[in-house]
Amino acid sequence: MILQPAALALLLIALLVSGMGIYAGYYGMRILGRWDPASGSEGQLELERRTYLVSTIISYVLSFELMSLFLFIYTADDIHLLFTGAMCAAGTLAVNSFGYPTLLLKIVNFLLAGVWLIVNHADNRGYDYPLIKVKYELLNMLVPLLVLESCLLFAYFAGVKPDIITSCCGSLFSQGSGSLSGDLAALPHRPMQIAFFSGMAVTGISGLFFYLGPITGISALTTPFLVRKPQKLISNLLKGRVGYLFSAASAVTFLIAVASILSFICLYFYELPSHHCPFCLLQKEYGFIGYVLYATLFGGAVAGIGTGVLMPFRMVGSLARIIPDIQRRLALVTLVCYLSFTLIVVWEMIFSALTLG
Amino acid sequence: MIELSGITKSFNGGKPNQFTAVDNVTLTVSPQQITAFKGPSGSGKTSLLTMIGCMARPTSGRIFLRGVAAAVPFQQEGVDAVEITSLPERFLNEIRRSTFGFIFQQFNLVKGITVLENVMLPAYPTGEGRALFRARAESLLEQFGIARLAGQRVELLSGGELQRVAITRALINNPSIIIADEPTAHLDSKLSRDFMEIVGRLKGEGKSVLIASHDPIVFDSPLIDTLVEMRDGTVTDSRSCR
Repeated sequence: MILQPAALALLLIALLVSGMGIYAGYYGMRILGRWDPASGSEGQLELERRTYLVSTIISYVLSFELMSLFLFIYTADDIHLLFTGAMCAAGTLAVNSFGYPTLLLKIVNFLLAGVWLIVNHADNRGYDYPLIKVKYELLNMLVPLLVLESCLLFAYFAGVKPDIITSCCGSLFSQGSGSLSGDLAALPHRPMQIAFFSGMAVTGISGLFFYLGPITGISALTTPFLVRKPQKLISNLLKGRVGYLFSAASAVTFLIAVASILSFICLYFYELPSHHCPFCLLQKEYGFIGYVLYATLFGGAVAGIGTGVLMPFRMVGSLARIIPDIQRRLALVTLVCYLSFTLIVVWEMIFSALTLG
Repeated sequence: MIELSGITKSFNGGKPNQFTAVDNVTLTVSPQQITAFKGPSGSGKTSLLTMIGCMARPTSGRIFLRGVAAAVPFQQEGVDAVEITSLPERFLNEIRRSTFGFIFQQFNLVKGITVLENVMLPAYPTGEGRALFRARAESLLEQFGIARLAGQRVELLSGGELQRVAITRALINNPSIIIADEPTAHLDSKLSRDFMEIVGRLKGEGKSVLIASHDPIVFDSPLIDTLVEMRDGTVTDSRSCR
């Protein structure tokens, strides 16, 4: 067991997130089972008050969960000096079999927690609890994952011992290692560059259309005819499809971008044709650029996926006026984040001393 | 119109000292009328009015505001009826500010600041321009004959003046419903009759007025449209006085 301050902070966050998650999950079950807005019973009124409290607490707790991903990779990078063979967080995470599963689960939970926060924000803006069931169904799906993440985190830190000899990132992310990370690193850079820029372009164009559409395009053209149901329907369908397309594109682009970091992006930063480690980017030698890259990528992905998750509810009663506004802001967040990510990558590709053939 | 359906308010629920202040009250309050709630101390009048005015939530039951010019989000969506007991706090705040004006038994004016500042206080959170609501406050003070007191601190005022300031403050956001809790408790007979005259004017302006009182000057007034009698948390009688 390692008693490093950041590790202890992570364990405390995990305890808090799991504990509050279980508490909220319990009320989630009650809400899903007993929620009846038509009733004025004591039980219903108690649930209405309780959900406000529970969702407020969980909002803070999941915000900690979002931050804890970055604290985790920072900690993994910070303590690599304790282990023989480790050059960065990659080696630290490889000291036992729980490191990488913990990281992967933290990434999944980051995305889900971000989406939950978006759904909760939309629900709180409506006066009649419009997304209450969706919100708690999503939370009940998330809680077991949060608990599992905490168990993995405890198992990981419990198994971390300073005398362990571990692998360095050079071997973990080498093209011939035979692992998933090795396979991703071995992806050919030219097709990956095409996939990366195409994904960013599709996300950017669909996002721009989704963001500007309601102001300039569709709405402006159809406003005089909105009383005509068919045209309104067509307008809504078109807007809906763009929203789904944008959301799907942002999710797929996120995956492509992660693979691209391993395949070619990191090479330009390291100026080495064979060093594919995604963690060395977090180090001072590279200006901590990894934090900026991952923050923009993950932030953009959460906002983009959140836009899609809200799509089915954009015409629901009290949310009809609220959700389109939230979605436009989310689309803008994704556009800004992905554009920043792409600009950093392009800058590095142009000004790096490395030239890939 | 305000509709109360099975409203119960209990304190210390489930404990040996549980106390039910309002017990299963179902009632309809008509708009643009003066409704008086009559009953002895502890009959549940104040508890009921605080729940109608969104200052407390019932333990069970629902309260509907129908046809009331409620808060901004509801107006924008063309919602005619708002069920207020289930609303999250921030929506209640908006309804409280825009729909209700309160006149308290102790007036609850803020000492140390002037009459004008007291009157303007409820308008600050609405986001309206200060110049606009200042002009409205001055106009209301003029209307109630206390414009000369605008710059005075409230602790220097008499009981009748304090009450007029409290009424003016209740009207600053142009609410459609005025709630007055024992408004004549600290006034002599003349001032109490003056108060009822003001209430009559407010009704004439189209406002609904709900008054809790055990003062005969209030509930025997010919201005009262509906009299609701309460005892031990229940409505014992509700009748039209017209």
